[in-house]
Amino acid sequence: MLNQMNVRGLLFDPYNNAYIVILRDEHNSDMLPIWVGKSEASAISFALERIAPPRPMTHDLMKTILDSMDAKIISIVLTDLKENTYFAKIHLLYGDSEFSIDSRPSDAIAVALRTDAPIFATAEVLHKQSSEELERWLENLKPEDFGKFEG
Amino acid sequence: MSDHPDLNLLIALKVHGVLIDPNTETQIVVLRDEKNSEVLPIWVGTAEGTSIRLALEEVVPPRPMSHDLIYSFGEHLGFSISSVIITEVKSNTYYASIQLSKNGFEKTVDSRPSDAIALALRTKSPIYVTQEVLEKRGGENLDAWLAKLDPKSFGQSETEAS
Repeated sequence: MLNQMNVRGLLFDPYNNAYIVILRDEHNSDMLPIWVGKSEASAISFALERIAPPRPMTHDLMKTILDSMDAKIISIVLTDLKENTYFAKIHLLYGDSEFSIDSRPSDAIAVALRTDAPIFATAEVLHKQSSEELERWLENLKPEDFGKFEG
Repeated sequence: MSDHPDLNLLIALKVHGVLIDPNTETQIVVLRDEKNSEVLPIWVGTAEGTSIRLALEEVVPPRPMSHDLIYSFGEHLGFSISSVIITEVKSNTYYASIQLSKNGFEKTVDSRPSDAIALALRTKSPIYVTQEVLEKRGGENLDAWLAKLDPKSFGQSETEAS
């Protein structure tokens, strides 16, 4: 079973010097925090703010290449969580065929936001993301860590 | 042939190495022609520089990087990259194009040189530069600039990439 997720914002995690993409389901009952690197965070933030960078970024090129091949991204799915690492798949429609391609969640999300493709998480991933862990790190975060994306 | 540039006017380049520019926190991809008579340094961001270095060293990272994902798109959808071309330089900014090939037909997409080079290394595609870019490159400061660089800053990726 798949749950549709929305990207709610990006946080800076000062303890790990990394960024966290916050995904929530449509009912705001489930939340997935996904740690990403700096360049992936900036790729996601450009798309969230709908800013066109002066030069196309790598994920803009990804979209350009797929467009030029007439391949369409149907959806991206967060498929698994193992030892704090998320796994994702990008579902593509090309010709009459569908393709599922393994991806890091950060790349999948960055390209989904550029192509307006829906983002899903499997029930298993949501289940594995224990709420206890979430609360623990949320307590450690200060409100000012939340960027302007936290809507 | 559509807008495909004339290959006779292009010079093939190899990626010679990736340098870290200690002054700007950016990285510099150093390209050379086959005769080693021309050198073309291109400043790139940290992520792109890292991606190029990993491909040069043929290191497989624990997770696929963004350019590996594009490579994977090609593998699944059956298109390949026939070449990448550094087409233009304006106000110190380089422009590139990627020639995609699928069942004999070609498409050209615009790209930053960093993305084009990162992809070319993964797909073993040739990298070209136009004669015009080499002439406009602003070679006057290049030798002085290269001389100032500490050879140590060339790092492990200082290889004749083949």
